[in-house]
Amino acid sequence: MSQAGRRERGALEVKFVPDEQVLKHIAEDSGSMGNGSSVSGGEVYSFQTPKRSSKMVELASELAQTPGQIVAAGHSECPEKTAKTPQSSKRPSSNKVQQRSKKKEFVSTTPYRLRKRLAAPDPDLESESEYSASCSEEDEDDQKEGSAGLSGQKTPAKTKAASVSPPRNTLAKKVKEDKMSNLVEEYFEAHSSSKVLTSDRTLQKLQKRRLNQQTLHDLLKKAPLAYAAEIKELNQQHESLFSKWMLHLHWGFNIVLYGLGSKRDLLEKFRTSVLQDSIHLVVNGYFPSITVRSILNSITEEVLDHTGTFHSPLDHLEFIIKRFKEDSSLELYVLIHNLDSQMLRGERSQQILAQLSSLPNIYLIASIDHINAPLMWDQAKLSLYNWLWYETTTFSPYAEETSYENSLLVQQSGSLALSSLTHVLRSLTPNARGIFRLLARYQLEHKDNPSYPGLSFQDFYQQCREAFLVNSDLTLRAQLTEFRDHKLIRTKRGGDGVEYLLIPVDDSTLTDFLEKEDEDA
Amino acid sequence: SPKKRKLSQKTVNYFRERNNASEDTDLRFVTCQSLWNQIKSETEQIQEDLNKQLFDNLVSFLRRSHSEFQEKTTEWTCQMKSREIPTAALVLGVNVTDHDLTFRSLSEVLQNSITPYIALLEAKDCPGIKNLMQKLMGQLMNCYVDADSLEDEDHVQVSQNRIRCSMTSIISWYQNITKKTDSETPSKKRTSSSRHWQSPPVVVIFKDMESFTTKVLQDFIVISSQHIHELPLVLVFGIATSPMIIHSLLPHSVSSLLCIELFQSLSCKEHLSTIIDKLLLTAQFPFKLGEKVLQVLINIFLYHDFSVQNFIKGFQLCIVEHFYSQPLSVLCCPLVDTKKRVNSLSHDQCENIRRLPSFRRYVENQVSEKQILLLTADNFLKEITQKLLEDLHVYHENYVSVLRCLHVFTSSLPKYPLGKQIRELHCSCLENRVWETEEYESSLQLARMLNKSDLVTMLQQCVEIFVSSSGKEFDKTIEKLKEFLTQFQELEEAFQEQDGSVSAQKELQKKTDLYHLQKTLLELKESRRSKKLTKFEMLRFEVVDYIDSLVRTYLVPADHKTLHEIMYFNTASVLRGHLNAAPRVALHTALNNPYCYLKNQALKSDGGNISNKAPDICIVYKLHLECGRLINLVDWLEAFATVVTAVEGPNADAASSDQVDDIIHARFIRAVSELELLGFIKPSKQKTDHVARLTWGGC
Repeated sequence: MSQAGRRERGALEVKFVPDEQVLKHIAEDSGSMGNGSSVSGGEVYSFQTPKRSSKMVELASELAQTPGQIVAAGHSECPEKTAKTPQSSKRPSSNKVQQRSKKKEFVSTTPYRLRKRLAAPDPDLESESEYSASCSEEDEDDQKEGSAGLSGQKTPAKTKAASVSPPRNTLAKKVKEDKMSNLVEEYFEAHSSSKVLTSDRTLQKLQKRRLNQQTLHDLLKKAPLAYAAEIKELNQQHESLFSKWMLHLHWGFNIVLYGLGSKRDLLEKFRTSVLQDSIHLVVNGYFPSITVRSILNSITEEVLDHTGTFHSPLDHLEFIIKRFKEDSSLELYVLIHNLDSQMLRGERSQQILAQLSSLPNIYLIASIDHINAPLMWDQAKLSLYNWLWYETTTFSPYAEETSYENSLLVQQSGSLALSSLTHVLRSLTPNARGIFRLLARYQLEHKDNPSYPGLSFQDFYQQCREAFLVNSDLTLRAQLTEFRDHKLIRTKRGGDGVEYLLIPVDDSTLTDFLEKEDEDA
Repeated sequence: SPKKRKLSQKTVNYFRERNNASEDTDLRFVTCQSLWNQIKSETEQIQEDLNKQLFDNLVSFLRRSHSEFQEKTTEWTCQMKSREIPTAALVLGVNVTDHDLTFRSLSEVLQNSITPYIALLEAKDCPGIKNLMQKLMGQLMNCYVDADSLEDEDHVQVSQNRIRCSMTSIISWYQNITKKTDSETPSKKRTSSSRHWQSPPVVVIFKDMESFTTKVLQDFIVISSQHIHELPLVLVFGIATSPMIIHSLLPHSVSSLLCIELFQSLSCKEHLSTIIDKLLLTAQFPFKLGEKVLQVLINIFLYHDFSVQNFIKGFQLCIVEHFYSQPLSVLCCPLVDTKKRVNSLSHDQCENIRRLPSFRRYVENQVSEKQILLLTADNFLKEITQKLLEDLHVYHENYVSVLRCLHVFTSSLPKYPLGKQIRELHCSCLENRVWETEEYESSLQLARMLNKSDLVTMLQQCVEIFVSSSGKEFDKTIEKLKEFLTQFQELEEAFQEQDGSVSAQKELQKKTDLYHLQKTLLELKESRRSKKLTKFEMLRFEVVDYIDSLVRTYLVPADHKTLHEIMYFNTASVLRGHLNAAPRVALHTALNNPYCYLKNQALKSDGGNISNKAPDICIVYKLHLECGRLINLVDWLEAFATVVTAVEGPNADAASSDQVDDIIHARFIRAVSELELLGFIKPSKQKTDHVARLTWGGC
């Protein structure tokens, strides 16, 4: 580093540094920090390489095998390991059972084309073929790898871990070499085809009920937190720095926390242990309806005891700044969980928060989690924020932070939507209910069409007339307005200017609703 | 100020909390604070001095720009028929973060010397012309209130009415104001007119000209040019890039309404050099930066922001860190205070001194009786410490002078083997013995080839440096250097005499033919080659050797000095972690190699693989790396279940498998939503139950 550093230094004064040198510098820089881990920039930010569909399964089975390997390597001094040893003797059989049960699913993930080529003898495998191979051209390498992976998976009963891993290892090596040679080509290869090869299976077919937030929470409570002792130790390390945080805050810096794991508890601890006697404001940035305005409001109302409204956030901010400048005895600690949340990451919000934090008697402590969070700030904002970065990797689960997220797997609004649907409809006239049912039926009929735009108003009117539900398009429009006010339907204009009507509820809920309606009727 | 004291009292507590063992914390904190205040005012002074030239130019420009308006002649009107607005284009450089300070002091200067009517506009406040006018009027009328708060009744009324923001209202306001000052009582007039004219210009400063929307700028310029004969307006554009931007932002029809004069501020690199010169290369402040720390700060400056403010901020952090983490930093004070402080050191502190690596080295080199004394008798230790600290102080004084002297030599060498800037030289001298490096060797060789006039000027500069330095040991050196200079002088005289004789010889040879001339020339060349060294060359060698000897005596790296830990802050890793953090790398490490953080043997793994007992999020992350742009959730869930059940092993019996499955499912959901929160994936509408990856390849 010193050698390179001097060379760069020498070059700098004479001319602009070429980009590669800067990159190298950054890579070196980031490499030499962190907990002594040597992670180079290239490792963190690399190009996407084309991935094969079976890779994940391979890795999973490989990972499933690894404990055996570790035991074979002989770390018997660890108590946990000694506990594991009896298992490892049993492992082959247990693995076999487990592998067999998984076997069907595994094989189904391999491309259809490949399976045909290999002429799989199992007939029910053939029937399960539901793979949407959309990638038109696959190179030889891909097929080879696919077959290697397949052979590895297809023989779990007779081969053990050893037979699975070697082909992968050699392949990995090969891929690595490839990566070195033509990174650019691979990049374009990965991005050339718009379609991606993935299996067609859906969660519905898995016969797994969707969990709602409450059951999820209960279930997670039952699962013990892994490595609780180590996590506690980590937290204690961070907590020992609390007085240093305060020192830095009072020297005019603001603090930002980063690293994997929820920093909410840590900040809470900080709040309860240090900030008890001072005025402080906690902002839950992850809360989906938080806005800068609400933050400013709570400052003016709770801290400054000012009732009154402001034209714009800028006026509001100006008022706050004025008040804080006038009264230097006023001190405020602001704790923001997730400064990088959806609602706060906007340019304007960040600008306002940055200006707020630049006040000498406002102390800001914030946490960030998103990988691209630092991109929110340009030089001007950074200098306003005057950050000191603290790495606080806690490994605690983001329980609170993710609970508001519209998670993919959590059944979020289903039950809510169904009850609200029935409630609203119950208060309507039979004709109105009929109109809604008509729309719902129509939508369900077209549920398999992914590009279903909705029912056009004209068609809808026609159908309603035919069912003797309305007598003029004005009555229908009045009815639709009511639906829209209750957020039961959504309208959007198509490319041709025609108005399309949609019910913004997922199909299963809609089916449930119709069934219920039919029962009632 | 009492509040401030209270505040600092509180801060002292945080200072104290961790090292409650040592009773010097209060003193340390006070030292730290006073040092920082000194340094802060010093930097402000430097900034002011650097900007002085620029501001003087600007002020005279402003005076000139509307002198006609003052005289209220008809000439003015006819000249201003062209409707040109005087404009100062202020090229400030890319270090945008420093501009704020510059503008603040600029408006201060203008307020004191030219006009009370200054408006500072920023692009982010002015998305439209309406906002701009609002902002402009607000600032102008506010400053009026500040100017004389006595008769502001009508003004208050005006602002309450939220008058229509238009140029005409500004003009009427301006006329009102100037009339008022005209008819003011003489006593009042004296105060205001001593500084300002009767009708001072209205200065509008656009802090960041590049970020304004062109429409807003154009409109404003066109509108105000219509009224320039009623309102003496001057614009100041703050420009970060190049003056060409004015012409690319504004069409010709608009830019022709401006009468632009260009002002160039000092480049940020020169600013930094001055800061380093005044803060680091001086014996004024006891606190010093170690090589690595300085390197980190300079790298942040050069590679990230070019911001001098950030450099100073980093320096501030160094000071805080040093005084916070080093209990002995209580001795990091001006030399006059050291004696008292050393004498009042506690036993614990003495032990701390004994524990310093540099002190151990020192002890090892002493004779055994002294060793015992040093390690047992606190009083003796204090005596020695005092002496060593004085040595250190003297060392630093000498170091700076010799460093400057060496820099005089190296900065004029071709290709700058030791760097062009003194900070580079400083870094390499701090790093290790500079005379052992290749670069030093080559620069000496180059120095041995310098011509005489250069050498003489350099020697003169060196003499100046030594004369002005505070070090006491340099009397001899100065004498020696002066001796060199006189020798050069003598040499010159001697040479001139010789020259005369040579020319006489040439006179004689004038009539020889070509053949003879060639012959004599060859002979001359021959004789020159065979001649060992001329007197000048001998002298030159002597000079270079002397400089070399100076370097070897005085430019010893600081960490070879005993007790350097007290003065030098050298924990670069802390600084880098706080100022130049890499959050993405931390995440990467945590996800790929949890053992770095969770010191559990089960997580220990070799190479790129992770153990399957890693936390859920690591496993889910690792699995998702194997996918393309889209990930099927079902596959993902199953792969996860495979891994997790393999870990839990056979105790997951068929009876409770359903239950376990649910838990695994829940854990999977949690891990996936965590990855979503971290920004690795997002839900995708392309296919049912799929998520899209947001990162590239191997991340």
